Amino acid sequence: MAGGGVKIGIYFCNCGSNIADKISADAVREASRTFPDQPYVATVDFICSESGQEQFVESLTFERPDRVVVAACSPRDHEGTMQHCLARGGINPYLMQMVNIREQIAWVTEDRDRATEKAITAIRGAVYRVRLQEPLRKKQVAVCTDVLVIGAGPAGMKAAVSLAEAGRSVVLVERSPFIGGLPVRFDELFPALECAPCLLEPLMGELLHGDHSEAIELLTLAELWQVTGFYGNFIAKIKKKPRHVSLHGCIGCGECTLACPATTRNRLHNNGSEQKAVDFAFAGMLPNAPFLREEVCLRFQGSDCRACKDACPMGEDVIDLDEGESLLERNIGAIIIATGAGLFDASRLAGMGRGMLPDVYDALQFEHMLSSTGPTGGGIVTSSGEVPAAVAIIHCVGSLDGDHCAYCSGICCQYAFKFNHAISAKYPETVITHYHRELVAPGKEAYALMEAARTRRNSSFIRCDSGNYPVITPEGTGRLQVRGEDVVTIADMVILCPAIVPAEGADRLAALLDINRDCAGFYDELQGRMDASQSTLKGIYLAGACREPMDIQKALLEGMAAVGHALAGLQPGRMIEVEPATAEVATSRCAGCHLCSSVCPYHAISFDSEQHVSSVNGVLCRGCGTCVAACPAGAITGHHFTNEQILAEIEGLLK
Amino acid sequence: MSANGGFEPKIIAFLCNWCSYAGADKAGGMQKPYPPNVHIIRVMCSGRVDPHFILSAFAQGADGVLILACHPGDCHYKEGNCRALQRHRLLSLVLQQFGIVSARCRMDYVSAGEGEKFRRIITEMVEVLRKREALPE
Ligand code: FES
Repeated sequence: MAGGGVKIGIYFCNCGSNIADKISADAVREASRTFPDQPYVATVDFICSESGQEQFVESLTFERPDRVVVAACSPRDHEGTMQHCLARGGINPYLMQMVNIREQIAWVTEDRDRATEKAITAIRGAVYRVRLQEPLRKKQVAVCTDVLVIGAGPAGMKAAVSLAEAGRSVVLVERSPFIGGLPVRFDELFPALECAPCLLEPLMGELLHGDHSEAIELLTLAELWQVTGFYGNFIAKIKKKPRHVSLHGCIGCGECTLACPATTRNRLHNNGSEQKAVDFAFAGMLPNAPFLREEVCLRFQGSDCRACKDACPMGEDVIDLDEGESLLERNIGAIIIATGAGLFDASRLAGMGRGMLPDVYDALQFEHMLSSTGPTGGGIVTSSGEVPAAVAIIHCVGSLDGDHCAYCSGICCQYAFKFNHAISAKYPETVITHYHRELVAPGKEAYALMEAARTRRNSSFIRCDSGNYPVITPEGTGRLQVRGEDVVTIADMVILCPAIVPAEGADRLAALLDINRDCAGFYDELQGRMDASQSTLKGIYLAGACREPMDIQKALLEGMAAVGHALAGLQPGRMIEVEPATAEVATSRCAGCHLCSSVCPYHAISFDSEQHVSSVNGVLCRGCGTCVAACPAGAITGHHFTNEQILAEIEGLLK
Repeated sequence: MSANGGFEPKIIAFLCNWCSYAGADKAGGMQKPYPPNVHIIRVMCSGRVDPHFILSAFAQGADGVLILACHPGDCHYKEGNCRALQRHRLLSLVLQQFGIVSARCRMDYVSAGEGEKFRRIITEMVEVLRKREALPE
């Protein structure tokens, strides 16, 4: 705290006539004689102009005040400018207080005397406050610039490859045995009907064996287990399930699969085909190495089978039947979450037949059917192997529904039109009926596909706006009856287009990272429009459908956006600067009541259970001051907005 | 006291930096006058407003205290304005025990664009308090 004899300089900006017309600088000078420490008053014509700043800095250098009050425009316009001037004048920038005598006084007060009187009051408040202001310095913290990317779908792959290109080391954690996410298993993508694996191929190639893939540590069958630390210095523990097949030694020849005697039904193929215990998840999967399912392998049921190992042409070391679970530890500076999304479970809607009627498919199952590597080799056939004469495509399943998903996923209509196209291309005579609540085709490309579906000879659209879902029941001859609103149609196959929902495990990851989720369960953005790539926790970024339903184009862009944050925030050889206008707990006064951490929106306050006190992490704190106001013991100082400073301002204003 | 001898209340207003302070600046940009009875204290967030500040303002002669925050859901620190609202509710009860009626301690929401609303709130509050006269010492 400043004692007696503090030298205070008041700099009064005339702002041309903007301020001078309404507020008398002479009256301010006169009144300032009664202020504590009798400040000197200097007037400047336009303090923000180049010459004004020069004059200001020169005067600061000459006068060497201990504290500075700038009475001018709004600090929102020029606080930064003034702070820089202080720094140039050799004075700590936090020793200045700005008084907004233009926007909040000169421009809004009719009477000149009353404007002057109000300005004097405001400046007096600032003088009282500034006497108690303290020099603050930005702290520097060394950081690790490596990045953890969770999820190897389009967004995560894009992020990992781009970070590696920029010279960063990346740990890419993927819980499935393969990369590419959901779309790598699709055949064609809306809106332009490009082949999905072909589009993703170059990106997957870059990731696995590109110029920078050395910098990417890909961990498949792996999940984040624990994270400690904070932005710039996280420690991540990753649990890795055994693949039993070495990604480095395996050449993907499939000899082991051929030799494996144990089989299971293939769930991806609607149980329509068989899979071996050691097998690929689907043909063409990358990395091109099978994995072993312990729950199917005979060896894990007590036998001493080693057929796969014996069949492997690459030697003894590629297949490791004894490989166990491992816990890896990695230091990283930032985390990008790109865990994607899943589909609303349509079996929750009674009457739609999902899970009961074999010819009711959800969109993912139908995508697999369309895929040339799928159960039917790309053929569109019913469970009895027939070409469907009529198909019903039901949009908005679970969507736009306050009881289930109170939002529009934005992409379902587009893939529904794609389905229409795929069926039409093969079977022009097949009748297709779309049941929908709304139809959306946003952007510059989606309309063409919608128009093609709408103008197709054998397609019709039924709008269901009563809020009820179509009811699907078996019809006598093995066909299906679809009743939506009052329209009844007969179909051989029904395709449901359910809402996009958070991926399975999103809740667990959110709890583990201490980040928030929105009411639909997607990860919450720091700010929905301005900061959608950042989670609620500093240094944890969001990319792709884990944040909101979206298509591949947008997911890839979001991958890049998250990379932008990681690259801009963490740079090799550069420390991160910690804002000094943050909160600090005086441990001697802390009663350990936890109230502060319960009101902190940024999880910046942690509790030391040994000493029974809270402490604020300056890297995470954003300086809102909520904890300062909440602390019943007055143990928290909100630097630059301390209780004493604000109380002094109140005193000065009311003197 | 104003020129006409009527009672002129003194109001201390706590404005959060991001919305309400910007709203007051917006009112400035419109250059339409409002009563000069309000003295603004800038805080980063309405959540910073310690009830103690308000009590201290009344104790030192303020006739009214105003807290202006971002609209619900818009707080730049997520939920600081909810905390401010909770504290304001409780404090209002306490203040009434001391005979300080709720009209003297108001909380409201002003966004960065609501210059006009800011003017209206100030004008209204000044009018109401002009009729109420000063608090007893
Ligand atoms: S920032 Fe405006 S109320 Fe919190």
